[in-house]
Amino acid sequence: MSYSSLPEDVLEHVFSFVQSDKDRNVISLVCKSWYEIERWCRRRIFVGNCYAVSPRMAIRRFPEVRSVELKGKPHFADFNLVPEGWGGYVYPWIRAMAGGYPWLEELKLKRMVVTDESLELIAKSLKNFKVLVLSSCEGFSTHGLAAIAADCKNLKELDLWESDVEDPSGNWLSKFPDTCTSLVSLNIACLGSEVSFSALERLVVRCPNLRTLRLNRAVPLEKLAHLLRQAPQLVELGTGTYSADLRPDIFSNLAGAFSGCKELKSLSGFWDVVPAYLPAVYSVCSGLTTLNLSYATIQSPDLIKLVSQCPKLQCLWVLDYIEDSGLEALAATCKDLRELRVFPSEPFGDEPNVSLTEQGLVLVSEGCPKLESVLYFCRRMSNDALVTIAKNRPSMIRFRLCIIDPQTPDYLTLEPLDVGFGAIVQHCKDLRRLSLSGLLTDRVFEYIGTYAKKLEMLSVAFAGESDLGLHHVLSGCDSLRKLEIMDCPFGDKALLANAAKLETMRSLWMSSCSVSFEACKLLGQKMPRLNVEVIDESGPPDSRPELPVKKLYIYRTVTGRRIDMPGFVWNVGEDSALRLS
Amino acid sequence: MELQLGLALPNHNNPSAGNGVGFKSRKDAANKRSFQEAFGNYKIRDELQMMPLLLWSGPPDEEDDDRKGQKKRNSCNNINKNEEEGEELVVGWPPIQSWRKKLLLHGQHPQQGQVGRRVSKFVKVKMEGVGIARKINLSLYNSFETLANSLIHMFATYQKSEKRGVRYTLTYQDKEGDWLIAGDVPWQT
Repeated sequence: MSYSSLPEDVLEHVFSFVQSDKDRNVISLVCKSWYEIERWCRRRIFVGNCYAVSPRMAIRRFPEVRSVELKGKPHFADFNLVPEGWGGYVYPWIRAMAGGYPWLEELKLKRMVVTDESLELIAKSLKNFKVLVLSSCEGFSTHGLAAIAADCKNLKELDLWESDVEDPSGNWLSKFPDTCTSLVSLNIACLGSEVSFSALERLVVRCPNLRTLRLNRAVPLEKLAHLLRQAPQLVELGTGTYSADLRPDIFSNLAGAFSGCKELKSLSGFWDVVPAYLPAVYSVCSGLTTLNLSYATIQSPDLIKLVSQCPKLQCLWVLDYIEDSGLEALAATCKDLRELRVFPSEPFGDEPNVSLTEQGLVLVSEGCPKLESVLYFCRRMSNDALVTIAKNRPSMIRFRLCIIDPQTPDYLTLEPLDVGFGAIVQHCKDLRRLSLSGLLTDRVFEYIGTYAKKLEMLSVAFAGESDLGLHHVLSGCDSLRKLEIMDCPFGDKALLANAAKLETMRSLWMSSCSVSFEACKLLGQKMPRLNVEVIDESGPPDSRPELPVKKLYIYRTVTGRRIDMPGFVWNVGEDSALRLS
Repeated sequence: MELQLGLALPNHNNPSAGNGVGFKSRKDAANKRSFQEAFGNYKIRDELQMMPLLLWSGPPDEEDDDRKGQKKRNSCNNINKNEEEGEELVVGWPPIQSWRKKLLLHGQHPQQGQVGRRVSKFVKVKMEGVGIARKINLSLYNSFETLANSLIHMFATYQKSEKRGVRYTLTYQDKEGDWLIAGDVPWQT
């Protein structure tokens, strides 16, 4: 029996086991009937750039979707490089989905501008809405959240991960009706002002399936114990402020409450930590797999005491107060560690304030055989250290190193760090994400182009010497999807020579480089399926054509130029001559 | 945010140049209104007593704060693009998310309202002719009057006795180099 004679519902059933987008895309290319069957049974879509496709097109092709994930602004928006008003508005999508996906259950947004109007529309139109994740979003207030709370009868998850929420009223939590018992996950850690504790408590008490609760800083430590006793089933907890007057009754109450939480695997929060209260969590340490201490201003000895009790730790986010000595302890205890992120406590100082060097990272790379994801801020690095790390951990998947002072050379040899990063890409054959820093010549890009065949995302700053650097990357990195560059001497030649490559990528960001406006125009004319957007807040870029463009964002799209560009964004396309006259 | 506060007598002439580090940034203010222009309508009588105050965000107990404070001030002279509060020299670097940066700089949640927590805002005060700088915590004051009174009291020991009874006007230099009279803009900002 040939595959084409299998009945539709059998094929559909088979396809339902295929979850990955990539595989589903491949299925849809087999033949017309498979394309049709597949598109009717796809339940989940991911749109990595909300401007790559229009909501109408997405809904038309996949009419029965239940879960949508969208991303808006480029990643460098996190670091203030994208001006306010650039775009990334979700409202057109919500308006379209209100009609096209009335049974939508999940919406996950990242770096998008969400308005209260959008949230109200979701609450009003999507009757089966269950999951809302707003990651690094902005533009909305607690009024919008109140609408979600009040009208989404089956809400399971509300996650405001690192979003910028205006807080005009504190009382939106009380808008969850008494009949709402479905909450599984609530993350309000980013909220600035107080929420009504009694409303929070009532909510926690009536939601027996609550697994994740991330409180905001305004929730005092004295009240945490009480909350924990109402929800001992919690798997993930974010504390509020972790400081209180030193009183034995508060401590024993807290320690007792924690010891009742037998399922706890993830801890975060810990703002304003008073070290004397840390031992209250010791009873749960043996089961912890994730620990986010990146707001905790505690010193190395206290950190060591804590991590030394967490043998099952898989993911640690911490400030550089941990120092090399703390990382040594981590390496000795946490043999299951997969991900380490070390954030700088004083990134703007001129001198190191802590004893955290490349040694700490080397020790972790030696001691933690499963380490695959690293984000590390430090002030010095050597090629030797990088080579050692690369050889220790060839299974590395994400490696993001930020040496705080731009163009810092190898501190031992004063050479560029080309060889070190070269070793990383050479040994770590599955590397998907890489961020470079330190003194780097074109050579590092030659290594990257030669070896980093699985690399999907590359972040570069203050590196390279010429267009050759950019050319190596664009011509060599077969899997490249996202490339973001700031302050590098890359210009027209490499860009134009690799124009076709850009259509195979999601996006390219270049700021403070040497790309001319002419080249942008040429690129826009040559490549109709790319949006070549020049961002310039000081005026039309063609009025000073002798200057390089300040910011350039290029992305592939099937919908042509976007209609919501602010005045400081110019789309340099085929009709650019008309547009700019 | 670099903020320069000066306590000045309402009667003055040109502020003396080379008055310690507080005036180094004035070279950037070349195009801005000079002090003389801004307050030219004041009667000129005595020599100007300028006490430049520099907002210096950092823990109060650093021993080498003189040097550090100076470094920060000087580096801020060279800011070409400084979009937001903080010690950023180059926008986008180091690559730290803005809310995390604010948390580090101010020690508080970037969106936190006044939930009864005061954030220390230590400001260095240097008076002309006096070698020792003083530090005050701006967050302990509620108004310009109380701040001015406290400063006058603090520096009273350095003053000659005939200065008593003279009125002071609080002035400050904002990050764009303009000299403004404190009190025009509400205390909160």
